[in-house]
This record gives sequence, C-alpha cells and structure tokens, in this order.
Amino acid sequence: MIEAQGLTRRYGELTAVRDVSFAVAEGEIVGILGPNGAGKTTTIRMITGFLPPSGGRVTVGGLDLFHQPSKARREIGYLPENVALYPEMRVGEYLRYRARLEGMGRSDGRQAIAEVLDRCLIADVERQIIGTLSKGYRQRVALAAAILHRPSVLVLDEPTVGLDPKQIIKIRELIRELGERRTLLLSTHILPEVEQLCGRVLIIDRGRIVAEGTPEELRREAQGHPQLLVTVKDAPAEAAEVFAALPGATAVTASGENGRLTIDCEVGHDLREAVFRAAVERGWVLLELHERAVSLEDVFVRLTTRDELTAAAADDDAAAEPPAGAAADDDPAAGGDQEVPA
Amino acid sequence: MRALLATFERELRAYFFSPLAYVILTFFLFSNGRDFNLIVSYLSDPRVGGTSAPLFQLFLGGTILFWPLMWFVPPLLTMRLIAEERRSGTIETLMTAPISETQVVVGKYLAALVFFVFLWLPTVLYVVIIGRSTEVDWGPIASGYLGIFLIGSLFLAVGVFCSSLTKNQIVAAVATVAILLTLFAAAFLEQLASGELWQSIFSYLSLLDHMDELSRGIVDSRRLVFYLSTTALFLFLASRALAAKKWR
Repeated sequence: MIEAQGLTRRYGELTAVRDVSFAVAEGEIVGILGPNGAGKTTTIRMITGFLPPSGGRVTVGGLDLFHQPSKARREIGYLPENVALYPEMRVGEYLRYRARLEGMGRSDGRQAIAEVLDRCLIADVERQIIGTLSKGYRQRVALAAAILHRPSVLVLDEPTVGLDPKQIIKIRELIRELGERRTLLLSTHILPEVEQLCGRVLIIDRGRIVAEGTPEELRREAQGHPQLLVTVKDAPAEAAEVFAALPGATAVTASGENGRLTIDCEVGHDLREAVFRAAVERGWVLLELHERAVSLEDVFVRLTTRDELTAAAADDDAAAEPPAGAAADDDPAAGGDQEVPA
Repeated sequence: MRALLATFERELRAYFFSPLAYVILTFFLFSNGRDFNLIVSYLSDPRVGGTSAPLFQLFLGGTILFWPLMWFVPPLLTMRLIAEERRSGTIETLMTAPISETQVVVGKYLAALVFFVFLWLPTVLYVVIIGRSTEVDWGPIASGYLGIFLIGSLFLAVGVFCSSLTKNQIVAAVATVAILLTLFAAAFLEQLASGELWQSIFSYLSLLDHMDELSRGIVDSRRLVFYLSTTALFLFLASRALAAKKWR
C-alpha cells in the first residue's frame, strides 16, 4: 500500500534521512520507532507528501506522490505530530471545511462528518470553538479530520504525545479500531504503544533503518543466545560448576549476593529441564528458574545507543526547523507538483 | 475547484471572526469619511471659487489623502493569510490535502479581495447622498472605483506574496508596505529621471497617473493589462514560494 524507495532528505549539510526503503502492505499496522531526532517526522512528512524528498520516491496505492499528488493524497489521512487546527472555527465547521478540501460532495460530506463525530467521540463538542477545547479533544478532532475522507492509508505521527493516561487509552483503542480496516503507519517513541498496536516495527536511528520485523522477531534477534536465571536455596558452592557442565551451557556467572546465577546457553538450547533435574538429583531447592526475556526496550536501547553529541546535532527540532539558507535546490522532484494525467 | 472554494470561504469567514478586521473596517470608514468631509468642505468654501475638479475625482484618488489607505490596508488584510498557516502548523494538513499551491494562493487571495471590496462598498453611499442634491456623473465614478479595484488587486497580490515568504505576520506586513511604497515611488522618479526611455518606463509604472486617468473616466486598456499581469505575476510567485518552502 505504501512503498518508499531510497528516501533521502537533506537540510543543507545535514542529512536527516538517508536511503530509507520500506513497504507497508494493505491492512498492516507498522510502527516507526526511534529516539527523538532520528528522522521519524521527516520520514513521515515525505510519506504524506508534505516534504519532497531529496532523493528516492514514494508511492501510495501505486500512485506516485509527486507525479500524481492529488490522487495519491486522497488515499492518505494524516495526523501530524503538532496537532494544528484553526482556533477560531467550530468543530463541525472545521470538518465541513476539510470535507470540501478533500473534494467530497455535500451529502457525502455530511454523512462522513456524522460518522467521524460518532467514531472519535466528539459529537458533544460539534458546536464548540476549537480554541476552547482540551488537548485530548483537539487530538480527536484532528484524528476525525484525518479519517474523514475515508482514506485507505492512515499516517499518525506520535498520536498520543501530550495526552493524559486516560486519553491515551482512548486514543489507542481508537487507533486499534481504525487499524482493523486500514493500512496504518504510526510513529512513536513510546515502546508499549508499539507492542500493543503494531504488527511490524521499523527502528530508525540517525536517519537510517537499523532494524525491521515483528516485535517478536526483533526480540529474538536481539537476544542472541538465551540466558537462564537460577537461584538455588542456600547457594551451594558447587552449583556453578554443576550447571556449567550441563550440555549446551557455555558459561555461568554469579550475580548479586543472593546466590543468583546466570547461565549462558548455546542458541537453540532450552536448559530449564536439565537445570531442574540436576538440582533435584542433588537435593537442592530451586527458588527461581526462568529464561530472561529481552524486552523491546532492550532492543531499542541496544540499537540506538550513541554519543549524545551526535544525538543533539540530529535533533528532531533541527529537522523541523532547518538552519536558514538550507537550500533545497537539489531536489530531483522539483516542478513535480504538476499533476501528470494518469 | 471545490477545494479552492473551500479555502476561499474559510478565509472570508476568518476575516469576520477576527477582531483585526473590525478594527480595519472602523478605521477605514472613519478615515475615508474624514477625507470625504474635508474635500466637501473645501469645495464648498466660497473662496475656492467653483469646482475646478469634480468632487468624486478628488475623492477617488485625486488627493494624497487617498493613498495612505492603499498603502496600509491591503498589507493588514493579507499578512495573516499564509504566514499564519505556517506559524501554527496548519499548513501541514492543508498541503497534504488534495489541493495545489495555486489553488491555496488564489482561494486566499480572492477572500482578501472580496473583503477589500466590502471595505469600499459603504463609500458608494456618499455618491448616493450627494446625488440627491446635485447631478453626479456616474461614468468617471465607476472608472474611479475600477481604479481602486485594480490597484487593490495588485497590492493584495503583493501582500499574499510576502505572506507566503515568512511565518511572521509582522514581517509579511512590513515587507508588503516596503514593496508598495517602492512601487509608488516610481511616480516621482518620472520627474527626476533623465532620458526619454526612463521617463516613459516610470510613467508607465506611475500609479498616481493611472489613478488620475481612471478617476477622470479614461479607461486605457494598457492599464488593465498592466494591473492584471502584475497581479498574476505576484500570485504566481506566491504559489512558487509556497511550493518552494516545502523544499526546505
């Protein structure tokens, strides 16, 4: 549904996104994960057609975003990172404006507005002036506007940022519901959100994709060899030796004062049963035996840990607000805004 | 077309929701009423001796009183149009909607133009009121209004262009005034210029002369071409600037 090929975006000297390629299949929910300043927003902006890439191309539903912009844009619903609405308008008025902007007819628009008011739980504020709404409501109004024209692709940039926990839960529910029938691309730096919502994850760091896969796959990959955590009552001295001698064990290290041992195992070996039997044979009491689970957080931290200095240089804000004089004359898509008839 | 109308309508409504528009409206009517009053009392002063220039020729561009309104009102009307979208970030959802830069620019420009016409509309009442006590010649008055419309069109287009360059409304307004005053200064350069070529260039650019002609009832097609083409040029530049800024 979405296909990005070799996306690159330069701001003068700074390359915010470098050769990013990925595809999102129909009906998939894909999460873009990355620390602040990794290039998430820049990538998203190129996918939605707001920012022309310095290199590479994007197609949505087979339509090139820069050669057939009107058609391709109709397929996309977009919730930007900074939810910006016109504060002087009423909610209903704003949605009517959006419907017309999307080229919807009067009756079609009216029906779609009734639908999204209901869907995003904002029917009670239809007559309210947007400037007077709380942040949570505004977020939902923006989401309503994004899905108004029934796009087949929905792109959400940090949809839960700045909301209170109750609102976050509501928005997530809504996102999950929306994802049932749509292709969804979601950017976030909140890990549980990705675990809960996304079928597949792209981890971006310093403008590149550093990992890709289901949360499950990423964890497995990062885990490398499995580790067992074992605690034996009274911590017998020979325990480490015994466990190290088990077939498949590579090393045993003691961690902490309470006699907890960490057993490194070869890939593909599950030593839990062997450890249990070895303990029982010797009459030891096992207080703890479990395989250490690698959280997505570990994966994330491992992949994106870096020098703070470079992190600051590639800050997201720097990407959104490029230095003055950041020339954009090197764009191959220049003039590509004219629509080419299909 | 639907998208263009949508932006047009939104902007026009936004004028009527903004306090600035009412301040401009009040200031405009007050200032114009005062000018009209000044002209009428001047002409009715027996010492002046008759009316060498008809009342409405003086009112519609015949005196310097007319120009400050033209320098300062259009920039105030246009400064918000694109700069504010950029500042608040609404530009992101606007420019990812199926609408072209040209449609955005033209939609917003037309809203400003309609508001500008709306500002001048009440002054037609002056003509009606005067017409009750004396003969008025509607021809030159109509062409005078045409002149105001043409100059307003150009000035608003300059304003839209400046608004498309920045996210700061004040910068947009100041830049617009600067361009308008420079354009206006061409009228005075005509007298200073040496050489026939320069004189004819500045004469062609002289807004003072254009307005003077039009308020006398002379409608020269060269003037129409001048205003329509320069207006189109600035709107084109604005749409390019809007597209280019996405390139940042």
